[in-house]
Amino acid sequence: MIPETLKKSLQARVASAITAREAAVDVMKELQAHYGWLTDEAVQEAAALLGLSPLQVEELATFYEMIYRRPVGKKVIHVCDSISCWCADCDKIIQYLKDKLGVGLGGTTADGMFTLLPCCCMGMCGDSPAMSVGGVPYGRLTPELVDEILEAERHKV
Amino acid sequence: MPKLIIDDIPVEVAPGTSVLEAARSVGITIPHFCYHPALAIAAACRLCAVKLLDGPVKGIQMSCALPAQDGMVVSTTDPEALKMRALVIEWLMLNHPHDCPVCDEGGECLLQDFTIAGGHSRRRYQGKKRTFQNQYLGEGIHHEMNRCIECYRCVRFYQDYAGGTDFGVMGSAGRVYFGRFQEGALESPFSGNLVDICPTGVFTDKTGRFRARYWDYQFAPSICQHCSVGCNTSPQNFQRETIKIVGRRNDQVNGWFICDRARFDKGYLNDPQRPREPRLDGATCGYDVAVDAAAKSIAEFVRNNGADKLALVGSTRLSLEGMIVLAQVAEAAGGAKVCYFDDAGLQQGSLAAAKLLHEENAAYVKDIEQAQWIALHALDLMEEGPMLALAVRKAFLAGAQIFLVAGDTLPACKALPFKYTSVETLDQVPFEGGGKGVIICGAGSKDPELLAEMASSGAKLVMLQPGPNGFAAALLTQQHAAGPLAELVAARQVQAVVCFEADVPQTLLSDLEVLANADWRRGAVEAKAPIFLPTTTWAESDGTAINYEGRAQRFERSRVAGLPLKGLDPKYYGSATEAVTLHPPRVHRKDVPGGAERDAWQVMAQLIERLGGEPVEPLTGKWRALKSLDPEGEGVRILEMGLGE
Repeated sequence: MIPETLKKSLQARVASAITAREAAVDVMKELQAHYGWLTDEAVQEAAALLGLSPLQVEELATFYEMIYRRPVGKKVIHVCDSISCWCADCDKIIQYLKDKLGVGLGGTTADGMFTLLPCCCMGMCGDSPAMSVGGVPYGRLTPELVDEILEAERHKV
Repeated sequence: MPKLIIDDIPVEVAPGTSVLEAARSVGITIPHFCYHPALAIAAACRLCAVKLLDGPVKGIQMSCALPAQDGMVVSTTDPEALKMRALVIEWLMLNHPHDCPVCDEGGECLLQDFTIAGGHSRRRYQGKKRTFQNQYLGEGIHHEMNRCIECYRCVRFYQDYAGGTDFGVMGSAGRVYFGRFQEGALESPFSGNLVDICPTGVFTDKTGRFRARYWDYQFAPSICQHCSVGCNTSPQNFQRETIKIVGRRNDQVNGWFICDRARFDKGYLNDPQRPREPRLDGATCGYDVAVDAAAKSIAEFVRNNGADKLALVGSTRLSLEGMIVLAQVAEAAGGAKVCYFDDAGLQQGSLAAAKLLHEENAAYVKDIEQAQWIALHALDLMEEGPMLALAVRKAFLAGAQIFLVAGDTLPACKALPFKYTSVETLDQVPFEGGGKGVIICGAGSKDPELLAEMASSGAKLVMLQPGPNGFAAALLTQQHAAGPLAELVAARQVQAVVCFEADVPQTLLSDLEVLANADWRRGAVEAKAPIFLPTTTWAESDGTAINYEGRAQRFERSRVAGLPLKGLDPKYYGSATEAVTLHPPRVHRKDVPGGAERDAWQVMAQLIERLGGEPVEPLTGKWRALKSLDPEGEGVRILEMGLGE
């Protein structure tokens, strides 16, 4: 169940769109922010708000990699494994992240702080290897820089 | 008209035709998966690559998405194109399981055909294949997602073409998954077409899995007998059992598809309890004995009571041939009455529709698809003609306005695959001179004046008949001035009946003597008739059916009559209650168990001969023109031929 105020604001967002479907990503992101991830319940709520079937919302939700259909940590690390970052040895960075966090790709740290996910290009090829943590992009990664970023992100509210 | 050269063959095609279709028109099949003539172009599978040697574009191109243009020189056999197709099929096959021997699609699988045609015969990929969890999709369709090659045909059909919203495509890249949000039966009444449209075995017909291979089937062009739309089908039979029914293309009727009722509702054909033995006074007898007895009984009744007290009763289930000969039986009996309808209202509406329709005002399917407005008049379309809903949807997607007149209380409205405006009367539909408008209604039980009002609107008309062959029944009723049985019984004009595939209601039967009954299913009539003559269904007989628009279509015998071999027991499991011995009788026999059934019109013809008449041939006289109907053609509109007069 979402609070009435959130429901109202989402209804307004859908009403201002030319087609309801075009507001789908915004609605899913808001619901994800509310629940922490896009729960089955949230998919059904989004469908009701958008006038789509749950399946049609699910089609969109599972297409976008920043919509999470499973529980995630407080901050999600998207580390790029596409070709430019691969040329800049992202494999080393990914391995370092795995070792440091003690999780595999797709895993969440025991303290529930970080979830590590691979992603395809973020458009930061000029600063490869790149990742984003909790939505903040970071480039030219080295193991030392990764240490600093994770430490800072851990304490940032 | 673009002129191009494909593999050294000059081709001229209509503007907008794809290179793939242009090649097909001269007998060259370019391998393809995602392309389907009924669906929008996706160009997703990349298999239909050809090389353009000269002309406005050059190099490797996808032939499904490339419109034919003047001066194109196309090679489908260029080494570069062959190599491309071989590599594409290899990558499409990467994750495909090697489970053809246990896949129900094997033998009728486009993926098998084009893998071979594409030149991929040896697997190089040694890695892990991606796998999925299957979903339960209801009792009609089995899901096997591992076989998917991501052509998107299913979702394009289900959502775009048929308007379903509960099945779609999820995920991205290597995780693409075709299914539902949660497990459960597919909601669309057209979901069965996923079986036909999937190029491989992701969706297979659960009602007929693992029974036979494609090359085992007996099949023939047939016409669905569930409603008056007359969709074209191919029943696939094995050992006297209808295993599957698939759609058959007819652009004038159903396009490529059929509804789920046409596909899955087949249990009655295979029913071991179907009455298959001729019976005389409750005891099984030879067919000729039963026919003799029926003829004797008719002659005796006529001698004692006069021929006009006897009625020969048919129904809209009879083939055109049966309906024609039925009237001849009445004649041979000395001028007995003939009925094609029980109910006066149904007959009145059906007859009015047949009279009102002519070549100019009877809508073609194309007229529905291209209409600017469509009015559905008090009509449960999903019940009376589901496939027309897809034609209406096409018009709706092209911008047509759809009105539902006085139909809000009808149960199937929620399932209609298009949006509509509800109005109370036909007057509220903005006709605007009728230009490019279509009125769709059910003719049965409609007031003829209302039907005439619709006809005078200038709109094109679809008047769905009560029953699969209602139009033919109306024509014959008109020709022989036949009355509805209910009226004749009420006026005490009829004392006895002989029924042919007629569903006479119990209330009428209490006032009637039934001399004989010929049918392929059980009913109230059977219990009252001392003589029973089993007849064949549409699956086991040749015949002609006339659909709602007056289109005569031929269906062919797709298998011999008889009990399905499956589970056949000593008594041919004909009895649900009596105990049976455990082994079939060890005697020689040449006849098919339960195969005594005869086509209804042939039973009638035999009766005529026993009654002293001449041998008859149904399609003679004015019906002669229908004798040469091509079962694989589009059928002919009899309105055009003047047979409706």
